[in-house]
Amino acid sequence: MDTANERRTAPSGLTHGFDPKLLQRTEPKVTREADVKECLGVQGLNLYYGEKRALNAITMSIPERQVTAFIGPSGCGKSTLLRCFNRMNDLYDSVRIEGAIHLQNKNIYDPDVNVADLRRRIGMVFQKPNPFPKSVYENVAYGLRLQGINKRRTLDQAVERSLKAAALWDEVKERLNESAMALSGGQQQRLVIARAIAIEPEVLLLDEPASALDPISTLKIEDLMYELKSKYTIVIVTHNMQQAARVSDYTALMYVGDLIEFDDTKVIFTNPKKKQTEDYITGRYG
Amino acid sequence: MNEASLNNLKAIEGAGAASGLRNWRFVKDRWVRHVMAFGGISVIVAVLLIFFYLLSVVLPMFRPAALEARAEYGVPGGADAETLYLGTEEYAEIGLRLTARGEVIFFATGDGHVLDSKRLPIPAGASITAVGAGEPSQGAVAVGLSDGRALLFQAQYINTYPGDKRRITPGVRYPLGPAPLKIAEDGQALTRLAVQSHADQTTLAATTEGDQAILVSFKTSRSLLGDTTAVERKAAVIPATYGGVTHLALSVKQRDLVLASAEGFLLYYDITNTPHLIDRVNAVSNGARITALAYLSGGISVLTGDSRGRITQWFPLRAQDNRYSLARVRDFQSQAHPITVIVPEYFRKGFAAADESGSIGLYHATAHRTLLVTEGAGQALGHVAISPRADALMTLDRARGLRFYTVHNEHPEVSWSSLWGKVWYESRQQPEFIWQSSSAAGDFEPKFSLTPLAYGTLKASFYAMLFAIPIAVMGAVYTGYFMSPAMREIVKPTVEIMGALPTVILGFLAGLWLAPLVEQNLPGVFAALLMTPLAMILSAWLWTRLPASWRQSVPEGWEAAMLMPVIALSIMLSMGLSAPLEAFLFDGNMRAWLGRELGLAYDQRNSLVVGIAMGVAVIPPIFSISEDAIFSVPRHLTLGSLALGATPWQTLVRVVLLTASPGIFSALMIGMGRVVGETMIVLMATGNTPIMDFNLFTGFRALSANIAIEMPESEVNSTHYRVLFLAALVLFAITFISNTIAELVRQRLRLKYSTL
Repeated sequence: MDTANERRTAPSGLTHGFDPKLLQRTEPKVTREADVKECLGVQGLNLYYGEKRALNAITMSIPERQVTAFIGPSGCGKSTLLRCFNRMNDLYDSVRIEGAIHLQNKNIYDPDVNVADLRRRIGMVFQKPNPFPKSVYENVAYGLRLQGINKRRTLDQAVERSLKAAALWDEVKERLNESAMALSGGQQQRLVIARAIAIEPEVLLLDEPASALDPISTLKIEDLMYELKSKYTIVIVTHNMQQAARVSDYTALMYVGDLIEFDDTKVIFTNPKKKQTEDYITGRYG
Repeated sequence: MNEASLNNLKAIEGAGAASGLRNWRFVKDRWVRHVMAFGGISVIVAVLLIFFYLLSVVLPMFRPAALEARAEYGVPGGADAETLYLGTEEYAEIGLRLTARGEVIFFATGDGHVLDSKRLPIPAGASITAVGAGEPSQGAVAVGLSDGRALLFQAQYINTYPGDKRRITPGVRYPLGPAPLKIAEDGQALTRLAVQSHADQTTLAATTEGDQAILVSFKTSRSLLGDTTAVERKAAVIPATYGGVTHLALSVKQRDLVLASAEGFLLYYDITNTPHLIDRVNAVSNGARITALAYLSGGISVLTGDSRGRITQWFPLRAQDNRYSLARVRDFQSQAHPITVIVPEYFRKGFAAADESGSIGLYHATAHRTLLVTEGAGQALGHVAISPRADALMTLDRARGLRFYTVHNEHPEVSWSSLWGKVWYESRQQPEFIWQSSSAAGDFEPKFSLTPLAYGTLKASFYAMLFAIPIAVMGAVYTGYFMSPAMREIVKPTVEIMGALPTVILGFLAGLWLAPLVEQNLPGVFAALLMTPLAMILSAWLWTRLPASWRQSVPEGWEAAMLMPVIALSIMLSMGLSAPLEAFLFDGNMRAWLGRELGLAYDQRNSLVVGIAMGVAVIPPIFSISEDAIFSVPRHLTLGSLALGATPWQTLVRVVLLTASPGIFSALMIGMGRVVGETMIVLMATGNTPIMDFNLFTGFRALSANIAIEMPESEVNSTHYRVLFLAALVLFAITFISNTIAELVRQRLRLKYSTL
């Protein structure tokens, strides 16, 4: 790792600028390194926008059925890294990628990988709620219809299950046939999550899912993540350190394309190994 | 000045500057707002003005006819002698009354005072027993005498302009000389008389006291020097009259004779050589009698009036065995009393009819309209005269004298049925939609059916959109969704510049270059239309089979450029194959083959050529607007779909097209509006034949082209002129309605698929 030679800092415990109470909602972790299976393995990932290098030899292991948060200042490459997991970066012009990401021992950048299939297995939720201009029902059923599933009963069940899982069912069950555009921002974002989990992905990538929402909606989304991690591996990019502390099991700090530190969330926030991490979480830069 | 007050001053100055700026901003804001409001309102006002101008020209056509009583006076020249004939001249200033004593009395129509009186040279001992008038525009009148002879005269009006004022001097001339002409060989009195006289040819038909019907014609031949004239007389007896003849009518061409019999039959004779009966029909229902008979202007249709007030139009129709029969064309049942007289207009297919109750009806035959029926005064009207311009009308009865009316009836030809329905025009085999606004003849029956023109417009739109929509929309989809930005930057402006091409150039190319090319390479054109898409699909498939290293040498989004040589090649190949294909599949001549095998006529300037040319004209706007709509589909929607595992194609079909649908719909509607209003291409690339068939290989005449062709030659404020304005109004309405529907649909779609 590029950061390996950096000056190591002594554990500093809780420092000012970070409220320890925020950690209280995180359950005490019973997981051990050994218990956690790897879901996504990143090996020496370099990403270039044209000539400019945006990710620097990232190597990390995303644990299965845990919430992993990427934090870091704007432009540090955390969203870019997230988009590497479902190859959304392919859609941006002049992006070149080196290295490998393994999902169940298969490099997703192998030429024989079906990208559409990969994206079905690795769902994604964007910063801005992006429901389709269709009904609530059709939004959730969209991914299933893509796979040719059109049987009404199957769709009905999947829609209900997904909306319940996304904690939206009670709010929208009376208006499944109304346009999704009529929902509030927070509801739209949960609808988008329901849409993503309707196709039962293995991984759910969340790109600042709550940054465009009000505090109450944010809270609902955070609660939802806690519910969802029993079934899905969740990777979340967030600007908001408190949020990372509240919802994640593991946290990775990135800075200008480098992975600075990646560890158990508790460790990152209470006892970071690097001075840079401590400086960031205590608010000295960022 | 101390420092505090200085600071105060600065603060005030600052505040002043700020408020000045604020005011200035406020003024600018207001000013710009007003300018924009003015602009917007001006556009609406301009469109409304156009609409109301069109409407103001069109509306007078639908104004009901009116009779305006101008004067009423006693019978001019005294009521002691019976009136035989009533007439007037061009300006309706001078009336003519022929009395039973043989006096021709000219009177001022305004007050009835006698201007001049001429006595016809009737031999002593003879009296007038019959009168007949020829086609009103020829003005010939004949009187039949008790000695079996007849005298032909013509009123003549000489206009002079002394002191720049019009003066009309009436007079009487005798085309065949002042001596009476011998009609009945046996000298029996003539009881009924019909006459037509034109140039050197005069024909008289008469019945005598002995119930004999005779036909006599006179041919005047002038010697070369014009000093002597010889009159050749030919007489014949009309055969098979089936009882008493009650009415006679001669056609203006002096080739047809129609008799009405007492039993209610119409007898139709060909009198070109020796008179022979062509057809005999029962013209009235049981118990009714024929009470009036007259030829309509032009001498093709005959009108009968019966004792029940019904007026019927008849004309000869040729059956398949080349035999003629009288066809009952249309009935008018607007007057309740027996018709006493039917008077045709001079030049139009209108006529006036009077009945025994004294009511007058104004009618138009082609439009099948009763324009007006007046309340009768109880006294039968024996004489009605219409002025040559059909703007004045006189009626005369012995008890109440003469009444002079001004007629307001400028546009009797127009009715809903004559504009849009099938009309049975004179000499046609059946009711049809025909547009034929004018011909060289003055007594021509104008055919103002807008249906073939509207049909032509729709046909042009259909074929043009059929050609344009697939190319424009698919091109827009590719450009907006798949194409690399660098290529898009070249393609989009290029197509948009194509839209700036003047349509007159497109029409010119279509008419003079494309039409002959298509004609000579018809199989090639169809092969190209079929092969080009197939070649594109095939080469796309081959492309996926190429080694990856080859494919990767072409940057992503530039694959379409590889298709250009494919398209060029397939078109060239198709054209090259044209002749062999024609020889192999169509016996060497596809046009003949189409006519023989499919019964399709082929015109050189046809809908195929127009479809291609006009398609090319509307591809740029449809492409440009659809491309904008597709390109502006928010990226987060496409990404959202792709992130759910959708292929780019699924994303296109299920999200992009759906979201862009309001824009694509607008594009199609704007293209449609453009096609409907397009003029130069349809004008130049079709034969402008107003026919109605959906054949791809025949031409048509569009509403817009029709206006362009005929407006310069139509007389201002004539019916033709106003009908052309109506055509413009119809075009306006079509575009307005289609745009309104498009806007409503678009608003709904936008509401449904809005992504904001």
